[in-house]
Amino acid sequence: MSFLSITNAVKTFGTNTVVKGFDLAVQKGEFVSFLGPSGCGKTTVLRMIAGFERPTSGMITIDGRDVTDAAPNKRRIGMVFQAYALFPNMNVFGNIAFGLKIAGLGKAETEARVKEMLGLIGLSHLAERFPYELSGGQQQRVALARALAPKPQVLLLDEPLSALDAKIRVSLREEIREIQRQLGITTVFVTHDQEEAMSISDRIVVMNGGRADQIGTPSDIYNRPRTRFVAGFVGTLNVLKARVLPQTARSVAVGGKTVELAQPVTTADASGLLSLALRPESLSLTASDGRDVAFEGKVKSVNFMGSVIRIRMDVGDETLSFDMFNSPDLVPPSVGDLATAHVASRDMFELSA
Amino acid sequence: MKTRFPLAAVLTALFAASFFIVPLIATFYFSLKMTRGELGFAAYASVFNSAAFLNTILYSTVASLIAILIGAIIIVPTAYWVRLKVPKLRPVVEFVSLLPLIVPPVVLVFGYIRLFGSNSWLPLTASTFGTDILLVVGYVVLSMPYMFRAVDNGMAAIDITTLTEAAESLGASRLRTITAVIFPNVRAAIISGAFLTFSISLGEFVLASLLNRPAFGPYLVQLGQDRAYEPAALAIMSFGFTWGCMVLMQLFATRKPGQRWLPRLFTRPAQRS
Repeated sequence: MSFLSITNAVKTFGTNTVVKGFDLAVQKGEFVSFLGPSGCGKTTVLRMIAGFERPTSGMITIDGRDVTDAAPNKRRIGMVFQAYALFPNMNVFGNIAFGLKIAGLGKAETEARVKEMLGLIGLSHLAERFPYELSGGQQQRVALARALAPKPQVLLLDEPLSALDAKIRVSLREEIREIQRQLGITTVFVTHDQEEAMSISDRIVVMNGGRADQIGTPSDIYNRPRTRFVAGFVGTLNVLKARVLPQTARSVAVGGKTVELAQPVTTADASGLLSLALRPESLSLTASDGRDVAFEGKVKSVNFMGSVIRIRMDVGDETLSFDMFNSPDLVPPSVGDLATAHVASRDMFELSA
Repeated sequence: MKTRFPLAAVLTALFAASFFIVPLIATFYFSLKMTRGELGFAAYASVFNSAAFLNTILYSTVASLIAILIGAIIIVPTAYWVRLKVPKLRPVVEFVSLLPLIVPPVVLVFGYIRLFGSNSWLPLTASTFGTDILLVVGYVVLSMPYMFRAVDNGMAAIDITTLTEAAESLGASRLRTITAVIFPNVRAAIISGAFLTFSISLGEFVLASLLNRPAFGPYLVQLGQDRAYEPAALAIMSFGFTWGCMVLMQLFATRKPGQRWLPRLFTRPAQRS
């Protein structure tokens, strides 16, 4: 049985239904991320778990207990907010001790737990500082410690890294994951940053229009996207129009080539048209590693991005985008050059609606 | 690049300030001339030696403090609740809070007398205590625009919604959230509102006079009619008091949590290495 379960949750604000029949089962100790664009309902679902929004219909249980109508302070959740939300009138120690005092812990016990938490986030030397004396990263660490101190059943993270600069964001997300693993706490993380979600989650819920479009491991989501939205939202994607060849189940005509797909075609419309997708990294200018399909075209743009060089190439009516690993010896093609991009037919997959 | 001295701006500022400073200096100078042929603080001594002064200032101080307390009890939870639960109603509440600036105190007090006169259903003016209550309520109403604005601005400065949610996620009840998180974080704003309320109600004349209460405002006016130098001394003292309140407001408003009231230099001897 799942530890945190959301069953057919619906949330309506006025006439606007923001969450439409959302289902999710999270196992104990799992790290699940809600990923999606702004307005997809990910934060609303998180706030329903926290109790700050009451579902219009549906049920939420934590450890088998129905908390759908329970007040936020009765749910035993810990929450970290995007804006840190540290109490400005309390120092670091006071902030972390707040939940423990409410739980009725004694002075010695509180002090020991706060020290433990400060050690966990590596800020033992800043216990006396006030929030305004801390950097953004330090404030968010304190917010994490504050949320974890009362030993909540579920940890909710609402875009906790969005307000931080890029370097801190990467190091802090690794810290969060490490602490989560260490404590084995069930965690729900909301983000619109796919790289963030990919790097720290056990499973990702890709949300679109108030629904979960796909729930799966990062690898599943990236390599086997089930919908066009998921495929387009997670990573960069090349989409090619194809036509299934008559009397066949796997053969399709794409860019003037006949390609044998790994799986039988299931999404072709009445006229046999379908969309095929391929990731930029599956394309290469060399034909090695079983890349059995070649697309000839003209280089449209070459963008240097540090570790990789992104090339866009016109192939008939379509544009293919792919990456080359950068190296000092590499001579990338120039704009206007004729080039051939190779891809393995097994790396091409169909897109459903 | 060399910056030119803003002579025109300075002269304009000095000219404008002279309208304020010259009468003040003149009043102060006049207040020192009570004893013929010499300058001194005789007028001030006379004021402080007057039992009426001490009684009226004590009465007004107590009434003002009670008004501050009641105002804070009404306005802090209201401003909090409006911002947290019904933010769309904020303009309406703000408008209501500004009404005392539109309705003249004389209208307000006649309304009170009519509503709570000795022949009314609640004859508050029939007793001294009842009239005191009316006076305090009047002070609360008169200070509402200032108290509400100060508290509301204080709440705007902190994200009360997120702070409330953070406290609740840690298990705090709504009452605990208000007392342990919200109240301490808008304390500076409440204190600013309190000082404004105090300044307004301490010298208030219309309500106190028409309700016939022994407050400082009517005493000040009465003294102006009967004496020459003492009113000038009182005016300077009132001015000093108001400015004192403003300095305290600034101190409270700009002080951060955990910050010292005085520089370390004054509180601990500097350590020599």
